[in-house]
This record gives sequence, C-alpha cells and structure tokens, in this order.
Amino acid sequence: MTDLAFRDATEQAEMVRSGQASATELVEAAIARIESLNPQLNAVIHERYDRARDEAASALPDGPFRGVPTLFKDLMCALEGEPYHFGTGFLKRHGFRAPYTDNLARRFLDAGFVCLGRTNAPELGLLPVTEPSAYGPTHTPWDPTRTAGGSSGGSAAAVAAGLVPVAHGNDGGGSIRIPASCCGLVGLKPSRGRSSLGPMTGQLTDLLVVEMMLTRSVRDAAACLEVIWRPFPGDPVIAPFPERPYPAEVGADPGRLRVGVLTRNPLGTGEVHPDCVAAATGTAALLGELGHRVEPDAWPKALENPDLVGVFSAIWTAGAAATLDAFGAAVGEPVTAADTEPLTWALAEAGRQVSAVQLIGAVGTAQRFSREVAAWWEDFDLLVTPTLAEPPLPLGALEPPADNPMLGFARAAQFVPFTPPFNVTGQPAISLPLHWSDGGLPIGVQLVAAYGREDLLLRVAAQLEEARPWSQRVPPLHA
Amino acid sequence: MDDLGTLDLTGQAEAVRSGQVSPAELVEAAIARAERVQPVLRPFATTRFDRAREEAAFATASRMDAPFPGVPFALKDLACPVAGEPSHEGMRALAEAGYHATVTAHIARRFAQAGLIVIGRTTTPELGIMPVTEPALHGPSRNPWDPSRTPGGSSGGSGVAVAAGVVAAAHASDGGGSIRIPASCCGLVGLKPSRGRVSVGPASGELTRPLSVPFVLARTVRDVAALLDVAAGPEIGDPVQAPPPRRPYRQEVGAEPEQLRIGLMTRRPGGAGTVHPDCVAAAEVAARHLEALGHVVEVTHPAALDEPARMATFLGLWASYASFAVDSWGRELGRELGPGDTEPLTWALVEIGRTVTAPKLLEALCDMERWSRRVQQWWADGWDLLLTPTLGEPPLRIGELDPPADNPLGGYQRAASFVPFTPPFNQTGQPAISLPLHRNAEGLPIGVQLVAAYGREDLLLQVAAQLEQTVGWPTLAPAP
Repeated sequence: MTDLAFRDATEQAEMVRSGQASATELVEAAIARIESLNPQLNAVIHERYDRARDEAASALPDGPFRGVPTLFKDLMCALEGEPYHFGTGFLKRHGFRAPYTDNLARRFLDAGFVCLGRTNAPELGLLPVTEPSAYGPTHTPWDPTRTAGGSSGGSAAAVAAGLVPVAHGNDGGGSIRIPASCCGLVGLKPSRGRSSLGPMTGQLTDLLVVEMMLTRSVRDAAACLEVIWRPFPGDPVIAPFPERPYPAEVGADPGRLRVGVLTRNPLGTGEVHPDCVAAATGTAALLGELGHRVEPDAWPKALENPDLVGVFSAIWTAGAAATLDAFGAAVGEPVTAADTEPLTWALAEAGRQVSAVQLIGAVGTAQRFSREVAAWWEDFDLLVTPTLAEPPLPLGALEPPADNPMLGFARAAQFVPFTPPFNVTGQPAISLPLHWSDGGLPIGVQLVAAYGREDLLLRVAAQLEEARPWSQRVPPLHA
Repeated sequence: MDDLGTLDLTGQAEAVRSGQVSPAELVEAAIARAERVQPVLRPFATTRFDRAREEAAFATASRMDAPFPGVPFALKDLACPVAGEPSHEGMRALAEAGYHATVTAHIARRFAQAGLIVIGRTTTPELGIMPVTEPALHGPSRNPWDPSRTPGGSSGGSGVAVAAGVVAAAHASDGGGSIRIPASCCGLVGLKPSRGRVSVGPASGELTRPLSVPFVLARTVRDVAALLDVAAGPEIGDPVQAPPPRRPYRQEVGAEPEQLRIGLMTRRPGGAGTVHPDCVAAAEVAARHLEALGHVVEVTHPAALDEPARMATFLGLWASYASFAVDSWGRELGRELGPGDTEPLTWALVEIGRTVTAPKLLEALCDMERWSRRVQQWWADGWDLLLTPTLGEPPLRIGELDPPADNPLGGYQRAASFVPFTPPFNQTGQPAISLPLHRNAEGLPIGVQLVAAYGREDLLLQVAAQLEQTVGWPTLAPAP
C-alpha cells in the first residue's frame, strides 16, 4: 500500500471510516515505510510497533483520526511507562520512562491516532537543528547532507518523507516552524495557552512553548488543532476559544486582509539569504494577486528591539537549568557537565547565574514588547516573513568549537531571527512551503496573526495552498 | 451620614440619570464625608478634591450614557497609576520623592470612561504586602465598625472608604487576599476575579504578576456585577485572558442558580493551626443559609489544599516579586533603594528575594502550576463551590502584626493564621468572593468565602445575589 504514503491524515481517517482500509493496514504500511527509510533519515528513535499493532487491532476511540498512524516527539507528549529522553544522553543512560501520560498525548489518543514511536530531537529541544549526541543527526529528505531543522526535526523528516501523515512537534522558539521550513511542511505554532501543558507544567512557567502536529496539508493542521484546543482543569493560561470548529476555516473566505511584510532580520543577528527574502516577497505578491491589501514596507517596528535577545536568553537558559535540575530530581542523581552536550551545559550554567529578579525583569520586558507588537495588529491582519534567514543548513553547521560552546547558540540566532519573537508574544504563526530554491530545497514562509487568531491563519493558508499547491512535491528520499 | 452616602453606586447613577442629583452634588457630598472620616479612620493616602470638583462640573449630559455618570469613586494607591498624578504604593521613598505616575493603568482608564470620578487614592501597606493597612508612611487605617481594629489589607483604605460610606465602591486589588480580607473585616462584598479577567496592563502582565488581580470593593452585589462589566475583558497584548462571560455580569444578579453542590471547609489549609470559632461559625451559618436555598452542602474540600509547605513556596515567589518591585521603583527614582528606604519587613523580603535564582523561581512557579491542577480537579469532578471562612480570625487589633524589632518577618509569619484561606486561590487563579454574612458577639463583620471554578464569576454573582436577597447584610458602618 505504498500509495498511502502521501495521503494526508484526513484522507487516511476517511479510509478507515468508510472501510476502505483498516487501522491495522494503515499501521502496518506505515511501519514498513519507517523500516525502509528511517536508516537514511534517523527520524524515529524509539519504536512501539507491537503496542501500535495491539492498539490498531483493538477498539480505538471513535475520534476524527481513528486508526491513523502518527509519531510523537521525544519531548512532551509523554506516554506512561515509555521511553522519554528529551534528546538527552542522561535520561537515555538511566533508561528513563515517563511516569504519566500527559494531557496532550491523551487528546491525540482520544482522537484515535495510533502512535508508532518517538522522533528525534536535539538535547532539551534547545537548538534549531536535530543532531543530539545521544541519537545522532536527522536528515531532511530533500537533501541528506542537510538538517531537517529543529527541534521537531525527527517528526518533520518523518512527515516529509511520507512515513506518517502527521507527527507531533512543539515550538518554544520556532521548533515547529523551523523544521516545517526545512522539510517543506505546514508548521502551525498555535497561540499561547491553546493546548494544555499539564500535568507537569504550564504556561506561566513554560511561557514560550506550545504544542501541535506537523502536517503536509492545511486541512490536517486545522483538524489537529481542533483535537487539542480544549483546556484541561487547572490550565493556567487559556487562549480565547474559537468561534467555530477549525476545520470549517479551510475553504472559508478570508476576506480582504491587510498584510505587512518583513524580510530583514529584526534581531540584527545577521543577513537574510536571498532565497528566504524571495520566499516572503513572492508570497506577498501572491497575496496581492488574491486580492489582499499588501503593504510591502509595513511591519511592527517594535519587533526591532535590541533587548529581545537578552530577554530570550534569560528565559531560555534559566529554563534549561531548571529542566536539568528536574531531571536530576526525577532519577535521583544530579546532572553533571559530563552528562550533557557542551552547549547544553553552557546554557544551563548561564541560566544558573540568572537571578529570580532578573528573570522577572526579562519577562516584564517581554510583556511590554508583546503589547507594543500586538498594537500593530490593530491595523493589520497578517505579517509575512521568511520562516528562516537561511536555507536548510548543512549537517554540523551549528557544531560549536570545543573552547566556546555558546557560539553554537549565536550561530543559531543568525539562522532563526524570525520565529522567536512570536514565542515571546504568544501569537500564532504558521510556516507554509510556498517557495523552493533553485537547488530544490524547501524555503518556508511565515504568516503571523494576532493572538488567538489561528482561524485567520488557517483560512489564508488554505487559500494559498489552493493557489500554489505543494502536495505534488515529493522529496528525493520518500516512501 | 447624608442620604446620598447610603445609596450604592448603581443607586447614585440612577439618581444622576433621573436628574434628582447632579454629579457636582454627589462629589461635594462625598468630599464632605471624606473630610469627616479621614482624621478618625484614615482611608486616603492622597486626595484630589479640586480635580474631582472640576471633573464633576464637566460631567454633563453628554456622559449620561456612561454606566456611572459623575459618581464619586476612589482608587487604591497600588498598581493603579494615573499619568501625572501621585502614586506611592505605601512607600515613603516614593511619597518623599513626590513621585507622579507616567502611565495610566487600563483599569483606571476604564473606570474614568464609565463616568466614575476619583476623589482620592486610598491607603495600602507598603507595596501591598501585608493583610493589614498600617504603613509607616501614613500610620494605620482603622475599621469603621471598631476603630481599635484593622480594616484588613492590603486594600484597607478602600475598605474603610466604602464601609464608612465615603464612596459606594472603590478600586482594590488582590494578590493574596487583599480584596477579600478587607471585605471580611469591613463587612463588604469583595470579589477577586479570575486570573486574566481584568487587565493589569500596560505596566504589568500576569506573566510577571500571576497572583494579583485588580478589581473593587463594594457594598452590593449589583454594584460588583456592574463594575465587573466595566473592568472585565482583555486589553491589547494582555498575556492571560480569562474566557469571556456568556452574557453581561449584571444579568447574573437575580438569575436563579441551579441546585449547587457546595463543599464546606472550616479547618486550615495545610492542616496545622486552628481557625477562630467566630470564623468557623460564619461558614457554618452560611452553609445553613445555602441549604435553606436548596443547595447541597457537604463537609469536603480539595485534598490538595491540605498539602503542606504551600506557604513556603508562596514566600519565595512573594519575596522575588517584592524584590523586583523595589528594584523597579529604584530605577524609576533614578537611585538604588536601600534598607533605609523601606519598612523592615519589605527589606527582609527583598533580601530573601535576592537569594532566589531564576531556576528556583521557575521550579516554584511550576510547582504552583502542578498543585493548582490538583486543586482545580475537585471542581472538574463535580463540585460547584467551596465555602470557607474568609479569614482565620476576626479583624485583628491595630498593631497586632507589628514585627518584633529582632525579627522583621515576625508579623508576616503571624499573618499566616489570620489569612489561611485566601492565598491558595491567588495561586490557582480561581475567582473567589467574600460576603458579609456574619457578625460575632462584638458586632464585628466576619466574612465567608465562596470559591468557583476558573472563569466562573457568573456563578459567584448568582449565588451572592441570592444570599443578599434572602439573608442580606447591613450596608453601612456607624458614623465615626
């Protein structure tokens, strides 16, 4: 059933519902695809084929994705009793298993998905490439010498190569949008508080991170968002509820949108590659052809904030330190420098130097920044930017010199200037595969809406998908 | 007390709209009451009588469609700046520097847009840290029902101003009970809204102030509901936005609640320590009233409330935020503040706060989030309301929380037995209301607290109105 590989999740679910295929057939076919391609991609790091087979053969929940195979990232989306390593050699060495099934995984399981395994991620999800020492690099199926992006790189490579139609990712600085761009996928980062981070954390602590699925079609993104948006008791931040089901946005007229465009690096961390500029300007032109009011020089000037890198670093490094402390407590043995990659340790050490007062100050700056940026959306509906400042990097490009591990983080900031600001503001943003380099590499375009307006992103994304479809594009490495 | 002072905010607005009274007359009468009350009970930190008179003179027919056209009001002198006006937060350093605010709080703007005229800013303990209102800057504010007692805190000045009838309602804020505590001590209705219900912007946001919510103190449930319609709803860029209500809150007043399942809790969260019999009695009396209304009351509560060490977590957070606040005010004043610039308790918290690292703060926040999930599961499991005493003791005597000279934290530690029931719901972000349903043998108000699931202020207002209608409470303290 190799012809299944590039059917999206919505279609595979329909095949099960209509009796054209059984869950077991879909799952067996996906396992076969993983077996044949994973040695080249290194996308899947833990298999759970037997459990998946059992689940497919049992009475699956009668959700919208009943019987559809998927993969979960090795970071959040925990399944009780199963390996859960956050890309760390430390938890791998301890054979750590998740002590609970988290709220997000519960939503996906209740929707009827069958999880075939867990996908590769960089250590703690800290980098925009997926090359953990513990599990090795993930390759983009478009060019095995290049990165699939990160931190949800394993999931992205798996979806792009047709192993599964959708796979879980999360995004604390771009980690859904970056691999979507590198692998030619639809990567929606929802609004802060759109889905539960419980039971172990919440959006007051993890204010930058949100969860979703990486998908190939816009309708799958809409249907997956519909699965995860309802809050759990005690969620500390709850995004405004949608007015109607998200799938209803696909095909709905977005109206005439007021669109701004940003193609230069707002953080001042480097130049933007011409391919990436072309991706954004080309999409802006297409939006103009579709009747939207595009102002090529309009963008939120507040994005150009020299404090933002420092703010992001304080939150990011303190979070890394707190996470390592929590892992140490979880296995009863503190994490040491020898247990982590050099960059992870350097970031955590930096985080330990941040005081609570400094962190509150950084978050305070983030809040002011967010208010200033949000004000732009009073006059505009959509901002178009390149997703990345560069095409997919060659593998190893972020490998830091041994004597200065933090250089890897600085290099990463050149690669990803466009995505982190919207983790700070909590706005929804989507990367769409609307552009391709002359060499055939995917170059994503990011669309950003006002807080809570995933509905608008989905409407315009569906419009763009129809105007410039990408479903016929298949990477060299594919099932 | 003049007749105008006996009206609630809604009543005063109706009197203006029907032409019975002008805004100028209302404001003049409120100023007269303020001048009578201030020397005895000290509700105000600063006043703006002349500006209020000017604003009342201009509150013409064009503003009659505002909900409270030209009706006098007061703002707490904490986290509610008005650009160009004094804002001192109970801090001598700010008062002596003659500090004037540079931004206007969204909620202050909304009150003004609703037609309310501010006659002054009410007292608060330094930075709102204590549950009594006895800042070194102003001296103690006193309870209108017994001036030897505290009106509670930190919104004590507002509690006094409303209970004494100076204004019918006043702005207040609650980061550990600071609306509910003075409501209990002064015999008022004190609703702490859900986290993210009322904006704390533009200067702040829930990511840096997750515990604190601004709102009001008032005497009637209908005023609380009408003011929530004014105050609720997100401002641009608010990081946390509570789910919007299905209909205006005013419509909840008089709407019959379904039969509710209510848990009664009269022993201290965390287990240790006792609750004063007057406070236990208040909750039990309220339970009987609720049963008489047809609701189901059982002695039960969320098990997670009994987990120990919540106050220790709270101290680390609270101290970090205090430390941040003092540093921020130093920046605003252009100099670093030192121990001589604050009260000893504030400085002790600053020093504790400075020892907390960012990873430890995240650990404490994460712990709070996990615990909050366990607490709130109780409501998800089918309970509608938790009923507790608002306080662990009747209104304390003035000075009772003064720390011993050798332990600046002594008063703060002593406060734990006074306010065991309110801080948990600042951590969970749930809405909670204190209602003045009981008096002890001395005639002091003893409040009861009702806690609803996150976002369910509608339910609290329904049942509060039901209790107000069937049980009722005295609305004004005796004149001083």
